[in-house]
Amino acid sequence: MTPVTHASRTSGQSRRTFLTILGAGALGSAALAGCRTEGGGGGEATSPAGAVTDEVLPAYSALDYVEPDFPSVNGSTAGFASIPAELVQAYDAPPGSGSTFTAMTPLWGAIPPTDGNQYFDAVNAAIGSTVQFQISDGNTYGDKLAAVLASADDVPDWVCIPTWNIPPRFDQAVESLFEDLTPFLAGDAVLDYPHLANIPTDVWKFCVFNGKLKALPFPGEIITDAIFYRDDVFAAEGITELPTNAEELLELCAELTNGQRWAANDLWNTATMIHGVVPKWRIEDDGTLTHRIETEEYRAALEWNAQLFAQGSVHPDAVADNSGDAKARFESGQVLISNDGVGGWHEALARQLGSNPGYSQRPFTPFAADGGTPVLWKGNPANILSFIKATDDKDKVAEMLAVADFLAAPFGTAEYALINYGVEGVHYSTDDDGLPVPTELAATELQPSYIFLADPPVVNTKVQFPGFVEAFCTWMADASAYVQDPAFFGMQITEPNQFGSLSQPIEDLEKDISRGRKPLSDLDAAIETWRSTGGEELRQFYAQILDAQ
Amino acid sequence: MTAPTVLAAPRPVATRSRPSPPEQRKVSLRTRWRRDRSLIIMTVPAVLLLAVFAYVPMAGNIVAWQDYSPYIGILDSPFIAWDNFARVLTSPAFLHAVQNTLVITGFQLVFYFPLPIILALLLNSVLTPAIRTTIQSIVYLPHFFSWVLVVTVFQQMFGGAGLVNQIMTQNGWGSFDLMTNPDTFLVLITSQAVWKDAGWGIIIFLAALATVDPALYEASVVDGASRWRRMWHISLPALRPVVILLLILRLGDALTVGFEQLILQRGAVGAQVSEVIDTFVYYQGVINGDWGFATAAGLMKGVISLLLVLGANKLAHLFGEAGVYQKS
Repeated sequence: MTPVTHASRTSGQSRRTFLTILGAGALGSAALAGCRTEGGGGGEATSPAGAVTDEVLPAYSALDYVEPDFPSVNGSTAGFASIPAELVQAYDAPPGSGSTFTAMTPLWGAIPPTDGNQYFDAVNAAIGSTVQFQISDGNTYGDKLAAVLASADDVPDWVCIPTWNIPPRFDQAVESLFEDLTPFLAGDAVLDYPHLANIPTDVWKFCVFNGKLKALPFPGEIITDAIFYRDDVFAAEGITELPTNAEELLELCAELTNGQRWAANDLWNTATMIHGVVPKWRIEDDGTLTHRIETEEYRAALEWNAQLFAQGSVHPDAVADNSGDAKARFESGQVLISNDGVGGWHEALARQLGSNPGYSQRPFTPFAADGGTPVLWKGNPANILSFIKATDDKDKVAEMLAVADFLAAPFGTAEYALINYGVEGVHYSTDDDGLPVPTELAATELQPSYIFLADPPVVNTKVQFPGFVEAFCTWMADASAYVQDPAFFGMQITEPNQFGSLSQPIEDLEKDISRGRKPLSDLDAAIETWRSTGGEELRQFYAQILDAQ
Repeated sequence: MTAPTVLAAPRPVATRSRPSPPEQRKVSLRTRWRRDRSLIIMTVPAVLLLAVFAYVPMAGNIVAWQDYSPYIGILDSPFIAWDNFARVLTSPAFLHAVQNTLVITGFQLVFYFPLPIILALLLNSVLTPAIRTTIQSIVYLPHFFSWVLVVTVFQQMFGGAGLVNQIMTQNGWGSFDLMTNPDTFLVLITSQAVWKDAGWGIIIFLAALATVDPALYEASVVDGASRWRRMWHISLPALRPVVILLLILRLGDALTVGFEQLILQRGAVGAQVSEVIDTFVYYQGVINGDWGFATAAGLMKGVISLLLVLGANKLAHLFGEAGVYQKS
């Protein structure tokens, strides 16, 4: 399936989302801004973050049940066009032993009912344990996490933490709150859990905190975000010329806006994408580090976004920073262009196709602001991690890992089909081609939940949406040509806590400048303040990690 | 007796002169216990509740002197003396938040506080009970809406894509965006507060007015007093103790200007005008994980608020008013 890799990447910005009654946000810059992994215990940080010894990593043992129809290109997501007629039953008996676990997961959409939910009941029966979900709005998930983690008693048995929501002082939290999975999974121990062993080593590297294997991954895609447009509306209005540079996108936005409709949501993330703004740091030729806010690209992106706002192309609710309804505005056609995590694509189809069979959205082919060769920064191997609460009951941990193994069953197994398509006859019916056709109930009940606890390596198997897998995989295969590794790629770096408050003023300023409340020239002063209030020390911190490499 | 007595209900000032306090005599503890026993027993549950939910948690303020991390606990977090307070006082962001808070408080004191009083006086002059209760119900209902709802309603009405703007653009009258204009933010949040809570605020004033003896009005009418005169000489004096009481309480809340309302609209107008002490503490403490720093900021806010209440109360006594409480 297409991992819902930040189905809607919320960024640092959307921590303050406004009116997130019905989830659904997007607009994340953290997407590219990479993992916001502040944390750390005041001052003496643990050994240079990101250093991982091989002993803690699980062995890799590939499992292939089915060959993909759309193979991976340069690491792009592979896809399947059909479901094998015979599914492999990976588990003869449910792996669980009847325990009940609480699990906290994010969701960018309407929270499904937990009582009487046939999807949850069916999966719980199949895994032999009961997972009780506490699902929270993904847009404000970080805020909720910070409060939940601060009170150890309230921490659920299983906690899903998107990397961009990792709270400050996480190096302490991870020690005191969460189970060390190293003894269970390191090396050949993982072979007890064949589906977990099927997850590549690079992904596991991202689950290592303080030198211990602490988390289970939700593997990520190499391209995390895209600029989507409503190709159905474009076609209806005869718009065929798609933008190939920043200027053309501005013109298109101006053209699309009229009194009753606006062109776009807040396109800050788009601005950083087309300008190729680095996620966090750029390593200069002389080996020094330049922070993203110090780069010319960042300044240009801000200037472009401010132009977009100034020309009135942004929906007023987006100007009012209501990112919670961003998806609703896009899907209802109030705006026609919006950036989102790539997983947001199929989630939108799941919500819309039932009531609006003609609904369609497509990502723009990547382009650079100046019309040259675009740069896309490679996404983390895992963007969403799940942690198991520390307990003395090692059998319980083993049971949860067995459940995780079930959840990580790859495409081609009956387990995978159950988790991703639900129950036949309830959540989908099978059409003549053997493809599942979702029912209306699927739109409400079958929401991403189990997949955030553990998931197999990334593939796109959303065959229930006609034409989607092909469109997705072709787009990503093309786009993958532009993917580059950012600095510190694939390293799980926990910043010391003293840097926790550095990003706040910058995020505020991004919004102020974009919305014309402050001039672009204020950026210089903000960068100076950033440098003097800890930015330089942060640079030192990363320089040390760089030297150690 | 030395315990402060809280005046829960306003006293009918206009009807009779204030009774002089009873003579203070030394009474033995034993006698007092026997006399007040049942009253004291009745207060025990409330005192216990207060102790458990208010006073014991206050001990947690100790983290203001620590580099506190909830993950290692109060006992293991290192003490750093007054560092947090020093950082708070030298933090431009905090001082800016204080400034915003004071501006909002001041503005609302002038443009929000008198409104319930005026409304109560107006309502009080409506004689038909049916109309009066209908109006009252309508104006106080918004009090039960959450802030999310209030802000949504405003956004849907006055936002750039709201109803008013749609009608205006359809008729070619141009458009405006009240919701995202930092310059009019003060007016915006005050009107939201008025819409939500002014109706609720009149209840206490109406109660005070209800205690006025109708005979006074009748007598003044006989004496030929106009409507205006009756309000000036009868209604307003009846309200005065309540107004003073609420004013003092408001001063105690001066540094609390509506966390939810502001955090919901922070993105719309920017932190420059919307960051207040409460939101600052939230971001600094919970979001940025600087718990000690945030606690120090919150503690300072608490101390200043306490001083404001005590000062205002003292001032009220100087002017011969009852204030919030007094020693009997």
